[in-house]
Amino acid sequence: MPRPIATRYARSGDVRIAYQVVGQGPLDLVFVPGFISNLDLHWEDEGYSRLLSRLSAFSRLILFDKRGTGLSDRVDAHALPSLETRMDDVRAVMDAAGSSRAAILGASEGAPMAILFAATYPERTRSLVLYAGYAHFHKWVMDPVRLQAFIEATETSWGTGATLQNFAPGRLDDARFAAWWARFERLSASPTAAAALARMNAEIDVRGVLASIRAPTLLVHRRNDARVDPDASRYLARKIPGARLAEVSGRDHPIWTGDVNRVADLIEEFLTGTHAPADTERVLAALLVTRISDTARLGDRMWSERSQRFHETWRLLVGRHGGRIADQHGEVMISRFDGPARAIRCAAALREAAQGIGIASAQGVHVGEVELRAAPSGLTMRVALQIAEHAGRDSILASRLVADLAAGSGLRFSDAGRVVLDDLDDPLALVEATSEQHLEPACQSRTVAAEPSALTARENEVVALIADGKSNATIAAELNLSEHTVKRHVANILMKLDLPSRAAAAAFAVRQTGPDGP
Amino acid sequence: MLATKEAVTGASIKKAIESRDGPMLSSFYADDALVRVIDRNNPPSKPREIRGRAAITTFWDDICSRAMSHRVDLTIAQGDNLAFSQDCAYPDGTKVFCAAMLELKDGKIARQTVVQAWDE
Repeated sequence: MPRPIATRYARSGDVRIAYQVVGQGPLDLVFVPGFISNLDLHWEDEGYSRLLSRLSAFSRLILFDKRGTGLSDRVDAHALPSLETRMDDVRAVMDAAGSSRAAILGASEGAPMAILFAATYPERTRSLVLYAGYAHFHKWVMDPVRLQAFIEATETSWGTGATLQNFAPGRLDDARFAAWWARFERLSASPTAAAALARMNAEIDVRGVLASIRAPTLLVHRRNDARVDPDASRYLARKIPGARLAEVSGRDHPIWTGDVNRVADLIEEFLTGTHAPADTERVLAALLVTRISDTARLGDRMWSERSQRFHETWRLLVGRHGGRIADQHGEVMISRFDGPARAIRCAAALREAAQGIGIASAQGVHVGEVELRAAPSGLTMRVALQIAEHAGRDSILASRLVADLAAGSGLRFSDAGRVVLDDLDDPLALVEATSEQHLEPACQSRTVAAEPSALTARENEVVALIADGKSNATIAAELNLSEHTVKRHVANILMKLDLPSRAAAAAFAVRQTGPDGP
Repeated sequence: MLATKEAVTGASIKKAIESRDGPMLSSFYADDALVRVIDRNNPPSKPREIRGRAAITTFWDDICSRAMSHRVDLTIAQGDNLAFSQDCAYPDGTKVFCAAMLELKDGKIARQTVVQAWDE
């Protein structure tokens, strides 16, 4: 959040409605949120924040929490107001913000409210955008049996984030988002209010007013929306005069999840007639695709625990290496870096973390142009994913271009042949980040004295054996250690002596002790 | 094309802006006029551009639909160039300050650059 957003309160009857105004665009855009909301919390989620930033870049965006939710006054949960009263809160907020006429964006449960507003106040509705909207709850959201189960779950587990599976199943294994969602539940509505809201939403039926809407209308719906059947928007498209329907790919329901930029593009184009110029801005970036798998047949429970631990470590390490979390689908994680060397160093740290946790990793790195503000997609992304698919266990595979660009970084690569990829005409040359190399010199102090005394007795033994040209496996056998431990010793030796390779370590040992050894 | 109700002068612009008269404001522009807006979200290297009278009409309709006050303080005219500054306030107290530079051609606004800053 770049700056604090002022929260103000509009008076609607006896109730105070919290609202925020952000952006400096010529048109007013009122966002009518879905089931629950909390103005303060929205800015703490990356996707929500991106959505609001995009919308406020071309409009004066007016946000509010419905009565009984978020920062607005609590109301008697056993006598929640009708849809009409809640719709009137939109008018009260517009009055307070000095908006006589605005574009209304209704998302999910906010859509019927927006529909009712557009039908009631045509002179104040500049245009109407409905995202994952519906006119009748039972027909397109939940039948009475499923609703009852949802309400019972609300009674027992509200505030734990358990409703996430109903809204964004694609984010279930994103621990940070799941934790945010649980806070979102707690800070947006009390358990009783949540159940009452669900019951009240079930009574929504605005089919009768659709034909009277006069405002230009855009409908946006994700084809596999987990909560609201896309047929709901197809119905709206038939009934609202002149409405345009845009179906987009995706499964997660909340407007601030999934491909937020795609939705924002559609809304911006509809309301302003143009694309944001920055949307086509492309930058050079390195993409790291990290795949993990259960090669040890751990069983579901243990795998799930370890996978979650790795996901948390992944977020931490990507941040530590100056990267950004870009996307994540179950066991495939995608991060973005400004430079390829950082991506490789992060990959090395992730491989080590995976080994520590006891799971297998396979990673791919590619560099190319990506959209500046979008989650990576397109050619660079597809190539990075395919490289990761070719990577073997614990291996870090990269396109040759990555190695070329990382020249001078001290990283070492070995040739890994060529692969034919669907998207490219010519076979793509690959390299493997070499495993003996210590790959994190940039994170370590470089001022260590290059003297044998800096090494432990055991490390001196290992250096001497390296100088004899022995492999890790042989050294392991001679010193009665595991090969993994030997690898660790080699890595430590290279780091302490600030040497680029085991050959250099061998030369160093010879220089220090003479050809006959210590 | 709307008939020009008044000549484009500092006084007529002040009157149209302060009375939030969108149709009057739109009538001041040439058919192929260009309005550039520079603000926090639209930096100088990528200003928001509103091209042509239809888009400019929508722009002024949107702005004039806001229940806010506008005061044009200062207008300066020099040949075919006009400049003015403007203080605006929303009912909730948010203030906006704009400075506008205009180029006239055949008595109509051909090009306008607006620089604005908002309380946020």
